[in-house]
Amino acid sequence: MDFAANKNKQIEKQLQRIGLSFEELIQAIPKSLQKTAPLLDDGLSEMEGFEAIKKLGAKNTITDYKCYLGAGAYEHYIPAIVSAITSKSEFLTSYTPYQAESSQGYLQAIFEYQTAMANLTDMEVANASAYDGASALAEAVIMAIRIKPERKKVVFSKGINPLYMAVVDQYLQAVQYEKVIADEIEKEINEDTIAIVVQSPNYLGIVEDLEKIKALKGEAIFIVSSNPLSFGIYKTPGELGADIAVGDTQPFGIPLQFGGPYAGYIATLMKHVRQLPGRIIGETVDTEGKRGFVLALQTREQHIRREKATSNICTNQALMALSSLVSILWYGKNGIKELALSNYKRAMYLKTGLEKLGFKTYEKPIFNEFWVGINKIDPFLEAKIVPGHAYNDGLIVAVTETKTQEDLDHYLKVARSLK
Amino acid sequence: MKTIFEKSEEGQKGYSLPKDFSDFMPDPKYTRKSPLKLPEISELNLMRHFTHLASRNMGIDKNFYPLGSCTMKYNPRINEKAAALSSFSCSHPLSPDALVQGNLEIIFKLIQFLCEAAGFQAGTLLPNAGAQGEFTGIRLIQAYHAKQGNLKDEILVPDNAHGTNPATARMAGYKIIPLKTTSQGDVDLKELLEKVNSRTAGLMLTNPNTVGVFVPSILEVSKIVHSVGGLLYYDGANFNPILMIAEPGAMGFDVMHINLHKTFSTPHGGGGPGSGPVLCHEKLAPFLPVPRVIKDQAVYKVLWDDQESIGHMATFHGNFAVCLKAYLYCLLHGKYGLRKLSEGALINANYLKKGFEKLFTVPFPQPCMHEFVVQADRFLPQGIKASDIAKRLLDYGIHSPTVYFPQIVKECLLIEPTEAESLSTLDHFLEVMQKIAHECETNPEIVKTAPHTQPVTRLDEVKANKELRLIHKD
Repeated sequence: MDFAANKNKQIEKQLQRIGLSFEELIQAIPKSLQKTAPLLDDGLSEMEGFEAIKKLGAKNTITDYKCYLGAGAYEHYIPAIVSAITSKSEFLTSYTPYQAESSQGYLQAIFEYQTAMANLTDMEVANASAYDGASALAEAVIMAIRIKPERKKVVFSKGINPLYMAVVDQYLQAVQYEKVIADEIEKEINEDTIAIVVQSPNYLGIVEDLEKIKALKGEAIFIVSSNPLSFGIYKTPGELGADIAVGDTQPFGIPLQFGGPYAGYIATLMKHVRQLPGRIIGETVDTEGKRGFVLALQTREQHIRREKATSNICTNQALMALSSLVSILWYGKNGIKELALSNYKRAMYLKTGLEKLGFKTYEKPIFNEFWVGINKIDPFLEAKIVPGHAYNDGLIVAVTETKTQEDLDHYLKVARSLK
Repeated sequence: MKTIFEKSEEGQKGYSLPKDFSDFMPDPKYTRKSPLKLPEISELNLMRHFTHLASRNMGIDKNFYPLGSCTMKYNPRINEKAAALSSFSCSHPLSPDALVQGNLEIIFKLIQFLCEAAGFQAGTLLPNAGAQGEFTGIRLIQAYHAKQGNLKDEILVPDNAHGTNPATARMAGYKIIPLKTTSQGDVDLKELLEKVNSRTAGLMLTNPNTVGVFVPSILEVSKIVHSVGGLLYYDGANFNPILMIAEPGAMGFDVMHINLHKTFSTPHGGGGPGSGPVLCHEKLAPFLPVPRVIKDQAVYKVLWDDQESIGHMATFHGNFAVCLKAYLYCLLHGKYGLRKLSEGALINANYLKKGFEKLFTVPFPQPCMHEFVVQADRFLPQGIKASDIAKRLLDYGIHSPTVYFPQIVKECLLIEPTEAESLSTLDHFLEVMQKIAHECETNPEIVKTAPHTQPVTRLDEVKANKELRLIHKD
């Protein structure tokens, strides 16, 4: 099958009106490059195509397991209203709101997303989203370097997700700066520090004590990368004196879907807004004084600045940002707290259960994830459990609201059998 | 219209949560003290708010959307249904390979299919969008030259290229050498010969280019760039009209990206998520980013590290769900069907172009590929600009073409109908354009002050940029 609308009858009419044959239309393509049209119809019907995809899906046996994987992507319940809204064709099938007057719906929705992210992080402004948490972090570091061109080094905490660090390295390979990865960040901060970059909760799930960095950061740009759901209960980047807050909004309304699409957020202070990459929506009025929304600060962007742009990022992850916005609003002021707390309580139930069984963990505050010294995975797999992400001779275990007491007790039972 | 933050009613809520079964509480030393400024709102009010917002937006399902260089084709709903299957949507990206064989097979086979269609030997689905695809491709070129010990620091970019091209090359650390476009829409070979040298790392080219013209001298361009050891990058934003008609690989390109959200119909979603797979010649394959999917006997495996690789580009496996939709689109069409798409795109664009020739200057008169440029300066004496015409189109329920891009044509409209539009829609569009042209002569004010039927009239962009109200404040 194909989705080309016009068939022979219309095509004939069109070519007649154009006054050229199809061969003449493509005459600019050198003959030696022209392929002959395939003779055999190798396409499928919609029914056959869907069956083929379902068969491939059936090879993903992961859905038969209770999965405790986290490390940057988290299983959460997604309210039904999310897809009901994101599947509305005006959101699903439109493009970047270049014509503001006919894109007020999306522009307002993204303005609301910016507001929600700024309020969640206690920052003053957020962009319209980035590709994912890792690219958001990379863009934030580049942003910091632009803000502090006279300084030399960026200090990263050891607790940053290694996959995020890998993307940071990729984005910054052409940038001259000194990269320091520190155990004790406080000792590395001085007049040469462009930025201090910390992840909290960190890769091992530990909520970092950032008050001491707040006190020491001086003029350096303080970047905090987080699972934004943790702000339901834990201190926000704003409270901790951060200049830039980044992370991935996947925990809000975005399915795991094997790693993407997700959406990164970048929130910052107004004094840095001109260095903030990506789309930003601003409020204004129309000729009659009615409230409306437009793309703001476009002169930073690549389609105008070309090689002088602040970033090559062309769009945002609008539909994913919308998914997160709807999920955040459904939970609302009190629900975000309760959801975050529910994650915390369940994770602590499992963590303390495992500690009682004698497994090693860190005695540090956590959110919904923790490291535990379990290195045998097969007994869990046999019990239809994916027990966590293997790391440092142990597991990073994520527990969200999707796990019942029965699930966690089952996990503990298998763990007990290892002893 | 009120924002959702102004619709808050104390105590109302949409959420429900399962009951807790433990009493742990976080250490107050670490807890949030600031109020969480989010609205309290019932599920119905939330639903109405967004339903109302949706009604204040255009979309392909409702409106013809001839936005040049964006390939706004129909987004088949079967693709959405497939991606929503829980077997895909509930799979974690760090799952053991054995438990996600279906996902890995899709990644492997989509790369294979795209390579065959474009004439390349290897590829990656990791880039999250076209711009990230460009960055990946340029990094491959960089890694290749580094391995050869070549000291090359210049990238050639034609002046009609998408803004992302120079921005990307700059991001990778290259110096940008611009190239002028000839009046025929071709690369100026004389200028190219003057500008290539031993420092040329590569040339980034969109073909057909952004004026809708297939670069006729592509084989000479390729020869010239390769003669100094440079490589050729193909910006696949305009891949739609040459699918199964000509292969970028055969034209001499060494690496390309494809915008799955354009050519392969995955929804644009209001500006993302996209997906920008990169395909390349064998000689660049060792440098492809990780993770990669490899096939070992009948089993698919993820390779998370590889010594020569440029490393990671995205957190996990890129926008997998987008790739899945594109894969189904490929399965449905087969190569046979894909050829029908490019033929349809070409014919539809040329048909519209013929109609436009009667109304406006068409600066590149030769047959176009999937899109064409119109120089809408005919009514400048009446004070009517291209952007006014674009806004008047909205009143007729048609989304505007791309305006003022490419920057090399003044007062330009870039028009791309795609193959998904039927003859009757194209005829309607031409009728509307005729009406607007007539209005320009008889009632210029109605065009200059358009739109009149949208949720708002013209918006004050100066105010937006001056006041910078970027979030809602109570």
